[in-house]
Amino acid sequence: MSKARTRPHASHEHVLDEGVSAGDRWITVKREGIAETLRALQAEGYQSFLFMSAVDHLATPVRPEPPERFELIYQLRNLEAREELRVRVWVPEDDPVAPTASEVYAPAGWDERETWDLFGIRFDGHKDLVRILMPDDWEGHPLRRDFPVGGEVVDFSEDHEVWQTAPEKA
Amino acid sequence: MSTETETGVQGMTITREAPPTDHFGGELLTVNFGPQHPSTHGVLRLIVTLDGELIRGIRPVIGYLHTGIEKQMEALRWQQAVVVTDRHDYLSPLHNNLAYALAVERLLGVEAPPRAQALRVIMCELNRISSHCLWLGTSSLELGAMSMFMYCLRERDTVLAMNEEISGYRMHTSYIRPGGVMADATERFWEMLADFVEKMPGHVDEYENLLTNNPIWRRRTVGIGYLSVEDAIRLGATGPMIRGSGKPWDLRKTMPYSGYEKYDFEVAVESAGDCYARYLCRIKEFRESVRILKQAMASIPDGPFNVDDRKLLPPPREELETSMEAVIHHFKLFTEGYSVPPGDVYAAVESPRGEHGCYVVSDGTHKPRRVKFRAASFVNLQALEFMALGSMIADMIAIIGTADTVLGDVDR
Amino acid sequence: MGVETLVDVLGENVLTTTIGKIVGWGRANSVWPAQFGLACCAIEMMHTAGPQFDLGRFGSEAMRASPRQSDLMIVAGRVSQKMAPVLRQIYDQMPEPKWVISMGACASTGGVFNNYAILQGVDKIVPVDVYVPGCPPRPEDLLNALMILQEKIKAQGIQPRV
Repeated sequence: MSKARTRPHASHEHVLDEGVSAGDRWITVKREGIAETLRALQAEGYQSFLFMSAVDHLATPVRPEPPERFELIYQLRNLEAREELRVRVWVPEDDPVAPTASEVYAPAGWDERETWDLFGIRFDGHKDLVRILMPDDWEGHPLRRDFPVGGEVVDFSEDHEVWQTAPEKA
Repeated sequence: MSTETETGVQGMTITREAPPTDHFGGELLTVNFGPQHPSTHGVLRLIVTLDGELIRGIRPVIGYLHTGIEKQMEALRWQQAVVVTDRHDYLSPLHNNLAYALAVERLLGVEAPPRAQALRVIMCELNRISSHCLWLGTSSLELGAMSMFMYCLRERDTVLAMNEEISGYRMHTSYIRPGGVMADATERFWEMLADFVEKMPGHVDEYENLLTNNPIWRRRTVGIGYLSVEDAIRLGATGPMIRGSGKPWDLRKTMPYSGYEKYDFEVAVESAGDCYARYLCRIKEFRESVRILKQAMASIPDGPFNVDDRKLLPPPREELETSMEAVIHHFKLFTEGYSVPPGDVYAAVESPRGEHGCYVVSDGTHKPRRVKFRAASFVNLQALEFMALGSMIADMIAIIGTADTVLGDVDR
Repeated sequence: MGVETLVDVLGENVLTTTIGKIVGWGRANSVWPAQFGLACCAIEMMHTAGPQFDLGRFGSEAMRASPRQSDLMIVAGRVSQKMAPVLRQIYDQMPEPKWVISMGACASTGGVFNNYAILQGVDKIVPVDVYVPGCPPRPEDLLNALMILQEKIKAQGIQPRV
């Protein structure tokens, strides 16, 4: 869908890249500048915060060298213009920290807690960063690609050698 | 009334009108509700700080139904994962299916044929009716109107019988798949649907007769759980939570999908922003869904109910006897499955609870890389903390009911 | 003088049976489930209590909110890791005699979800009397399970559970 519109967010200082994926517009932003960029986008009209999550791009034979291991995704929507925008941030594996967006958008509060719980990415400035879905004494971050899917090994299943039992401490 | 600022449970500063000045004094009491409790719509745990009967702080603790669906889908193939999508918001399985199917179809670059789109609309609207039936039944049960529960389940059983007719399952149909739908509707389905569409408005009148002008129902819902439009947008609430506060935001109208732009219906919007307004919204949605069903039934085009692409969907069984290519396609699809081009996409539908979205990341293989569900209830539950502060405990039940949260949706 | 004379005198006003049978009959026809609906199976459990399938005719209409007043726990839905200790606590709170129906595939074996988050079968933490397969099982399946349980209860009589 092409619309002749100015793209002021392309001139934000923290924007590294932009593009379109299957009809969805996205921009990549530097990690340090995420809160500022989100604030600017909110002022521009992207009032509605849909969700925020992370993707673990642990190297696989298909994509052996992602830019960093973790990618944070923020999906915003402009209710008046009916447009959506995805903001991506790359977060390295050895320093999985990012500034919080919960001061800018309230729904990010729980989404960031979930991202911490399932991926292990910390958010500086978040007021209540504790586990939300897993038990409080759970060890590990389940949605990371190197965390086993868990469960019980099913005999004669084709993924038999791939299934692993859940970690000892449950 | 004067205003006071208060720090909400997650550090949000909340400005509201001051509660009644005769406080009950004494120390604050922390009470635990749930996770096993009759009025919490699932395994929701609430830690409530009380000043007598006034709620001073409320903290939902979730995770008691965390199923690891997103991780599970990474271990399944694209077509196998459809089955798992049904089960997370278990009151609107067809909407979950549809969000996933739309996302995968956008990545694949295909679009479902018109007959499939019409069938999708029909099944989704039936799902909306059945979900609202259950919401109305359980909410009324909690507030004391026990016979409503029986009336609503009676209608829901009729809808589930239709689900069974078309797909074989009452609840988790997995009917909507990337590429189209599972099967065509039978003659008996159309008969059942015609009968249902004729009788349903009468049933909704029955519900309204019992509740809308009922002084007890009004006392328990009017003025309770107020959410302003600005707060609703700020907190990310969608669905009847935002339409009950005045903003006519309904994805079927504002960002239509699956052919909804062809149907003529109104968006159910009320301006009072309290539980009663949301109740009226959902009653109106019953009627509008019936309207859409009538139009869809009348205007459904003939044609295939699946995309005609043998690399996506298996060939009909008769072809396997004559065509070698069909056998190869069948084999490939049922062993390895199809691959989706790399990319990521977000597709959202208007489920009975609000905006239900599916964010899919593909790396080009036959299994999803990451699937994230934007769950309407997860976000609406955050608004609960805000709405319940300053109200009484008995009102908390009404507020939880009005948010229509499904814990499977919240915890995934 | 014997039982025959007694039968003549008393006529048809007396039934003879064993204590076990009468206690079993009483227990079986008034099984009160504890509300333990977790997920999708809970909805089908509500339908079983609803007008079309009517659990009330089996004596089980009174679904008690408190486990201390109930004798059947229908585990309806998937049991997550966080919920498992809660489930055990509820089970422990129920007074004897108590029974457990594991409703649905997730409660019986973990169901569709063979992963880190779901307990692979509720029988890992509580003893189960009847398993109901299905995802979710039809209300008639649950009624069938209840009837099987009723036979089991009648057979148990007054013997303590092993």
